[in-house]
Amino acid sequence: MADQNSNPTIPFDRIKLNVGGKLLETTVSTLQSGGPDSLLAALSNRPLHHDSNPIFIDRDPEIFSVLLSLLRSNSLPSAALRRFSLQELTDEALYYGVESRLRSASLPSPLRGIDAALVDTIRPAAEAVPSTFSAAEDGSLWIAHGGQISLYDSYLSYSTAVRTHLDDITLICRVWPDIAAVGSESSSGLHFYDLSSGRYAGSVHWTDQADPRIYKARVSAIANSPDSLFASFDCPHRENGVLVIDKSTLQVSSELARQSGTAAKNTVAGKLTWLPATGLVIGSAVTSGAFGYSGYIRVWDPRSRQVVWETNEPGSGRSSRFGDAFADVDVDADDLTLFKICSKSGDLAMADIRSLGEDPWVYMKDTNPSLRDTSCGRNNVILHCYRGQVFVGKDGGLEVWSREKPCQQVCESQTQSLRRNYVDKVEDAERGMIKRIEGGGQRLFVSREDVEGIEVWESSNYSGAVSVSS
Amino acid sequence: MSSFGMQCLETEPELNSNVVTINVGGQIFQTTKQTLTQGGPKSLLSQLAETTSKRFVDRDPDYFSLLLSLLRSGTLPSKVKDFDLHDLIEESRFYGLESLLNNSLTNPSHFDAFALQKSLILPLNGRDSPSTIATTPSGTVHVAHGSKITSFDWSLTRKSTILTQFTAVDSLLAISPDIAAAGATDFSGLQILDLQNGSVKQVLNWENVTRSGSTVQAIGSSSEFLFTSFESGRRNSNSIMVYDLNTLNPVTEIGHNEIFGADLDSAIPATKLRWVTGYGLVMASGSHSGLSGVSGNIKFWDIRSGNVVFELKEKDDCFSDVCVSDNLNAIFKVGVNSGEVFYTDLRSLGSVSDDANDNSNPWICLGNSRKVVNGKKEGYGCKIESHGNQVFCSKGGDIELWSEVVMGSAKISEGPLKERRVFRKNLMGRVKDLGGLRITNLAFGGNRMFVIRKDQQAVEIWQGSTRGI
Repeated sequence: MADQNSNPTIPFDRIKLNVGGKLLETTVSTLQSGGPDSLLAALSNRPLHHDSNPIFIDRDPEIFSVLLSLLRSNSLPSAALRRFSLQELTDEALYYGVESRLRSASLPSPLRGIDAALVDTIRPAAEAVPSTFSAAEDGSLWIAHGGQISLYDSYLSYSTAVRTHLDDITLICRVWPDIAAVGSESSSGLHFYDLSSGRYAGSVHWTDQADPRIYKARVSAIANSPDSLFASFDCPHRENGVLVIDKSTLQVSSELARQSGTAAKNTVAGKLTWLPATGLVIGSAVTSGAFGYSGYIRVWDPRSRQVVWETNEPGSGRSSRFGDAFADVDVDADDLTLFKICSKSGDLAMADIRSLGEDPWVYMKDTNPSLRDTSCGRNNVILHCYRGQVFVGKDGGLEVWSREKPCQQVCESQTQSLRRNYVDKVEDAERGMIKRIEGGGQRLFVSREDVEGIEVWESSNYSGAVSVSS
Repeated sequence: MSSFGMQCLETEPELNSNVVTINVGGQIFQTTKQTLTQGGPKSLLSQLAETTSKRFVDRDPDYFSLLLSLLRSGTLPSKVKDFDLHDLIEESRFYGLESLLNNSLTNPSHFDAFALQKSLILPLNGRDSPSTIATTPSGTVHVAHGSKITSFDWSLTRKSTILTQFTAVDSLLAISPDIAAAGATDFSGLQILDLQNGSVKQVLNWENVTRSGSTVQAIGSSSEFLFTSFESGRRNSNSIMVYDLNTLNPVTEIGHNEIFGADLDSAIPATKLRWVTGYGLVMASGSHSGLSGVSGNIKFWDIRSGNVVFELKEKDDCFSDVCVSDNLNAIFKVGVNSGEVFYTDLRSLGSVSDDANDNSNPWICLGNSRKVVNGKKEGYGCKIESHGNQVFCSKGGDIELWSEVVMGSAKISEGPLKERRVFRKNLMGRVKDLGGLRITNLAFGGNRMFVIRKDQQAVEIWQGSTRGI
């Protein structure tokens, strides 16, 4: 329980309030727990006279009593969200200056794939089939659809939309909290928009005076770092490369790699990740054709512009895994782990980025017979690492690989293994093929091919009991 | 306002030392010291009753008024419907009154089998169907589904899920609301799990001769002991281990069988363990399905001596499931072939097994005893459990409720048990609740019955109408 209530009988810091005609009594320490800048803290600092009239606040008393409960117990009463919308509560909390307390109390529970449920579907008002989206650490969302970007705040309520000059947006990245970098498959260049003002802020194109093959380069992947952006560009004649863009000037600062994409192992990188711990950039590309999947993973050091490590599949790795090339790759940047999902077996493999060698992969077999994949030839596999878990979209199905808790006793095998579980239900999978998975805050966002809106998955400790008696 | 409150209004409140005035969040409440101490000596209100200074509590007065009603009368007022149960629980935790609230809402003594109706569905996330279920007397329920265990608190408003090392949990027993014992028939060792943080507190293993690992076939418990039926990985030996429930140290081993020939009977590990409090015995039952049909045995063990006190061997119409009722002094089974419910009186069993020549069938059929058994296993998958004075038997998607009709009660307690006892059945639920998917488990906790079904990712709650909430 809250510390300020450990001694409830101390009389000297009691304070009387009259909110919209309702008399309330609380303590100065409770009011001050909203933060030093809050209106309530300011009120409580006024000189106190014990027999004085209560401090009058001309606001709604019902909402105030909810916010007072929040300050007293540090949790939002469950009944509050049934009586008031989160927007109402937020507006009122902003008035009293206790918005940060409301925000922390109304955050969803930690995202755990083994216990997550579909809580909402965010649908923009028009042209609601999202082409791509970007989620932020605070749980807010930018949805790109039909050439515009719709912004949703951390409560997932709509705030504004920005129309761009592009006809479709296939790539969106948060450069700064308000600056988005967008790219399109139908037109060249990487474009910057200030979403707070809705203004175009500039573009970057890949050009080379010496090489006529470099023209009309479109962006295919972006990675963000504190100082630079890394963007992979692809030309109509399959020349491709990774450019380093200075974030302060929004200009190209150097070229990291250039290759001619004549084979699968040098097509444009479809995924780029910057690792904060090492400063390395990891790029990967996967193409699928009649003969299955093929692709590469490449690690660059942007300081030396050298390839530090690379692997191509099929062609490298264990012979027992021949013909089982990866269908998608993702990087857990916090844990410095590389994950790939095998196209044929459906197994997940992980590699420690600190010790990448000839064959660094550790394969995770699915031990649960009831989860065994029956159909091998998957059309569409998407891998996304988030909060120490690996989310996998297979056609319409959503799965998660989660770490087992290590044994408190000494266990025979010290290797930590991952276990696979379904996040969704069978009927969820029938809604459509999963196109993109991204985590943000304690939420997982999922978009599906040709389906309007973005699904929001959250974990909750509410039981969600449904009454069936009549 | 209570009669105590009326008294104090006539006299000067502060002079009457028994009357207490409390300011909760700006609202004045008056009550007595006796009322405040109802929540036990450790509750915040008992401490408040003792203080001499002005009593002020910085909490919501609306919730306090509900809890004060609970302290005064032991029940919640009906206006509690307008409040959220979980908020009320949070508030009761602040005052140290949660157990009082728990007792008032889900008291096991309020269990009434005839009033149970399907009232709540607790959904489970993911695609796994529940495999087993465990309850505590306070009404907490733990559900194993796939490799996960989801726990619901006693109010069924909050849940938490942990990931286990099992691919599927086959046996689950709640030691406390936070601690459970879990085992599987394809995974070695009994794991004691902390359901709060998902960690394995301890692994209990039975060291069998072949050292091939030992799988868990059944778990049971009494107030002191934890019983676990183990089978060796090679399935050639089995045993029932008895552990101290508090320390989890092994106490003794009963019913250790090593199989060397074709001795079918000893090859059967116990798949159900139940403590029979009134007799101080452990019931262990197991069955085996072979070419000659299903055979099995029901043994009653005295854990002090390590001996079988009596045993029922099942050849014809072996049980599909069996349960023992302390209150009714009887064992009940569902026949695997007939699908009918049978009983045998516990008090007459000792005499039957002593008489070696008496090979008459101890079971008395409660249903249609003349039913032609046509080789179909009609009782397959049926579950039978006793709770209170009733026996609950699941058949497919339905639950039969068997209760005894007491006819001239004096004869039963005194005279010889020649007279047949009268049991009658009822089908539980309303018409819309009948049928449905096959029931795989029944459990009881608090004043509720919990039901899980095959291919249904949810737990069904059957309860009587509770006052207030």
